[in-house]
Amino acid sequence: MKKMLLVLVLGAGLLSGALLFAASNAQEKTAYDEDAYGPKAPIVWVKPVRSVIFEHKIHTMDAGLDCGSCHDSLFEMENGAAEKKDDFTMATLYKGGYCGSCHDGSAAFASNTRCTSCHIGARGHARLNSQGGTAVKSH
Amino acid sequence: MKIDDLEKTTSEDLGVLPSVVRRNILKLGLVVTGMYLGGSILSLTSVRNVYGAGVVPEVGKYPYNPHYSMVIREKLCIDCEQCKEACVKTNHVPAYGFRTTILEKRRSLGGEKFETTFMPVLCNHCNRPPCVRVCPTTATWKDEKTGIVTMNPGRCIGCKTCMTACPYNARYFKEETRAVDKCDFCFESRLSKGQTTTACVEACPADVRVFGNLADPKSRVFKLVHAPETMIWVLRPETGAIPNIYYINS
Repeated sequence: MKKMLLVLVLGAGLLSGALLFAASNAQEKTAYDEDAYGPKAPIVWVKPVRSVIFEHKIHTMDAGLDCGSCHDSLFEMENGAAEKKDDFTMATLYKGGYCGSCHDGSAAFASNTRCTSCHIGARGHARLNSQGGTAVKSH
Repeated sequence: MKIDDLEKTTSEDLGVLPSVVRRNILKLGLVVTGMYLGGSILSLTSVRNVYGAGVVPEVGKYPYNPHYSMVIREKLCIDCEQCKEACVKTNHVPAYGFRTTILEKRRSLGGEKFETTFMPVLCNHCNRPPCVRVCPTTATWKDEKTGIVTMNPGRCIGCKTCMTACPYNARYFKEETRAVDKCDFCFESRLSKGQTTTACVEACPADVRVFGNLADPKSRVFKLVHAPETMIWVLRPETGAIPNIYYINS
């Protein structure tokens, strides 16, 4: 009888330990890995119009895309490379260029819908900058 | 009048009034009060006709020609602020004021998701402009021909009453001219010189702002506000100012 109780207690201990280990493992998985998912800081384009946001996290970690899905066929892996090009416009997106490669209405919402999902505007940009400012201050 | 004569006169105070007279006055008072109460609380009297009482005037019933108005296709606005920049440049607007600006609304989509809507705003060139009504020097008026709410800076004394009266916060005090300044649909800077659009309309890359003559059935503004299955709204309709800036989403 005593032995059975001992086994039971030990078993319960092992089980809870395993559960906790799994939970911590899961937590590690939700942590953002820049090497796997790309830079954490959002990219904000101000040309040809102010201000358009792109977040690697939403596309890689949340949507499950690889780096190769966009690099280097659609976007070069260089900061500000797309902005320098003259064809980085909505017209190109509608023809399937840049973001329009997926944002065509079937793979993801079409480029000519939900404008403000990406176009955060001058106000959104200012808010992003001020949030960044306060975050730095609070550290 | 001598004291003796005065003593012979009858008193005029309320104490000597016969009760019939008092009752009649009281009844009259109640009737008058009842009339007003009936009108405002129960709306038994002058209620606006519900049918056809939309925000867009009925076809053919525009008080002006050209009846200048603007249609704003709200959901297309991306707050790039090129309209603001064009307005500042064209109309020499100082950094502390604005003739047009963009407001932001954020609506929850559940969870941590939000949808942002940008709302361009400017003078609504109301048909019943509260700013014009309050101006003590007639420095601002509704142009008889075009319906544009116009300012004469030379006549403005800077009392800022119009700024308080405006339901749309479309006026600011310009230090340089010591007068209130506001949007005039670019009348002075462009329309009077033969151009057909405002600077903000021309600058908009997303075709959000559409400007034109509402009294002309061939104009794009007319077609937009009279299109089938279109939801049209104005800002603050409850003020009764009858604005001429219409908002749509299609």
